[in-house]
Amino acid sequence: MSASRRTLSVVACTLLLGGCRDAKITSYRVPHEADPAPVAAPAPAAAATGSAMAATPVATTAGMALTWTAPANWQSKPATTMRKATYTIAGDGAEADLSITAFPGDVGGELANVNRWRGQVGLGDLTAAQLAGATQHFDANGLHLTVVDYPGQGAAAAQRLLGAIVPVGSETWFFKLLGPAALVGREREAFMEFLKSIRKS
Amino acid sequence: MKELVRQFRDFFVSLQLTVVLLAMGIVLVFAATLDQTNLGIWAVQEKYFRSFFVLWQVGEVPVPVFPGGYLVGGLLFFNLLASHFYRFKFTWKKSGIFMTHIGLLLLLVGELLSGLWQEDTLLTMREGETLNYSESQLKNELAIIDVTDPKTDLVVAVPENVLARGRTIEHPDLPFRIETRSYYQNAMLRRRDEAPNMPPSLATAGLGPQVVAIPVAPTYRQNERNSPAAFIEVIGREGPIGTFLVSTNLASEKPDTNGMVVQWQPQTFSYAGRQWKIMLRHARVYHPFSLTLLKVEHDVYAGTDIPKNFSSRVRVNNPDGRDDHEALIYMNNPLRYQGLTFFQSQMAKSVQLTGLQVVSNPSRQLPYISCILMGVGLLVQFGIHLFGFLGKRRKVAA
Repeated sequence: MSASRRTLSVVACTLLLGGCRDAKITSYRVPHEADPAPVAAPAPAAAATGSAMAATPVATTAGMALTWTAPANWQSKPATTMRKATYTIAGDGAEADLSITAFPGDVGGELANVNRWRGQVGLGDLTAAQLAGATQHFDANGLHLTVVDYPGQGAAAAQRLLGAIVPVGSETWFFKLLGPAALVGREREAFMEFLKSIRKS
Repeated sequence: MKELVRQFRDFFVSLQLTVVLLAMGIVLVFAATLDQTNLGIWAVQEKYFRSFFVLWQVGEVPVPVFPGGYLVGGLLFFNLLASHFYRFKFTWKKSGIFMTHIGLLLLLVGELLSGLWQEDTLLTMREGETLNYSESQLKNELAIIDVTDPKTDLVVAVPENVLARGRTIEHPDLPFRIETRSYYQNAMLRRRDEAPNMPPSLATAGLGPQVVAIPVAPTYRQNERNSPAAFIEVIGREGPIGTFLVSTNLASEKPDTNGMVVQWQPQTFSYAGRQWKIMLRHARVYHPFSLTLLKVEHDVYAGTDIPKNFSSRVRVNNPDGRDDHEALIYMNNPLRYQGLTFFQSQMAKSVQLTGLQVVSNPSRQLPYISCILMGVGLLVQFGIHLFGFLGKRRKVAA
């Protein structure tokens, strides 16, 4: 090693060691902070978990997003990081909840997700062979939608679930309308029109 | 020994070193500019300029591949300083060069000090809200807060990178220890009942069992922020107290400037006769005064959505009773108070929310002074040459 290289090495090592910085655990006292009051009524379904949360939105993939047109009587709820959007549909003194969520990948595939929805309204699981007969498919605005309509059974007999599964890029979007059977039945046409309005933004 | 000193001197006063360092600086800026598309401006600054070496991750081992900004800039500083002492003889004819070099040295020192001292945080407030802290736009912290005392909270703040390393977290103010069971640099949260085919939660307490954290690729976009999440186990002397899911998305307390609304419930537990609150939140910087947001204004040009003016009327209150005044902050009219500068940064009128960028930089005047020195130095040097040349021409003409 030449003298100048040796000198350079000594200087570089000195600077490197001198530059080491490490974050430290700190403790301090502050005046007691009361928990903040909610700034808006939470979405009903979110309230059931004890929290409805949102912050800076995080792109789940490359930022692919969908837009849609919702009927005027559907009340939009504040967006949260848990859901892409929430609508409440009121009628007969009750409410139906439309949740719009997105997940990376196919999250288990169509059969698993359809069976998950069926379980929520008291229906048994389908087999792969039965799936085609229990779902509808249509294309709209360059998107392929798998649509289900399941009246509840047993303990959930008063409920009805309308749902759509929409693969978008590397994500899968879920549109689920769940609520009193009569109310959801009245909104079925509006829901189908709503699905047809979904497009990539 | 004399030989070693001579080698050091020759190394630092070498013009070759100057040229090599300037070339390295160009390469550094070029590479950093290209990498900005991958990492974003903040990470690029840290990786290329505010470091001694640019590191590449080879497996788990960071390998230095190129000198970083601190090394190149630091060597350039010593090179320039040593050359001046060794070669430069001050004469009035060279006073302009001298001033220019002093200005350049000051610029290098200013950049170093800005890198070390400058702190950017964000103060987001709703109308009527009073806050005495601002939040980091880049860093996060695990806050474990003893809220037993109705008057004061004892906060133990653990930086996110300590959490990410996965080592046992212990502190004299904590009667328990914390183990990181799983950590995600960026994760999206979903309600478990809406998330299909998810494995059982690691969480046993708090909100965690009802929520799934799905790791997603970190974002480096300038207008986005990663939302880290971690499963942490709190372990007392007698055994485990519980495993909590913590995430910055669970700690947000107010609508963000995109107007997204949050209802937040703290995760709490009791241990050793005290009540504790736990959250992963944006790292906080507390100030010895408070700001109250009185009114936000978002004016647009008539008949359009084009912003005309954002402004925030705030009340500055010092608890020592010496100061209590109002200030109007708007674009290009920041509030300067106690060494901090509050710039109007973000605005969400629909939710009466303002975002003020809070900048603390004790060396903020240095770049201005150095630019003035360099400008005046160049003017003086060219002036000396110009007048010398004109004098010679007059003599020839005469």
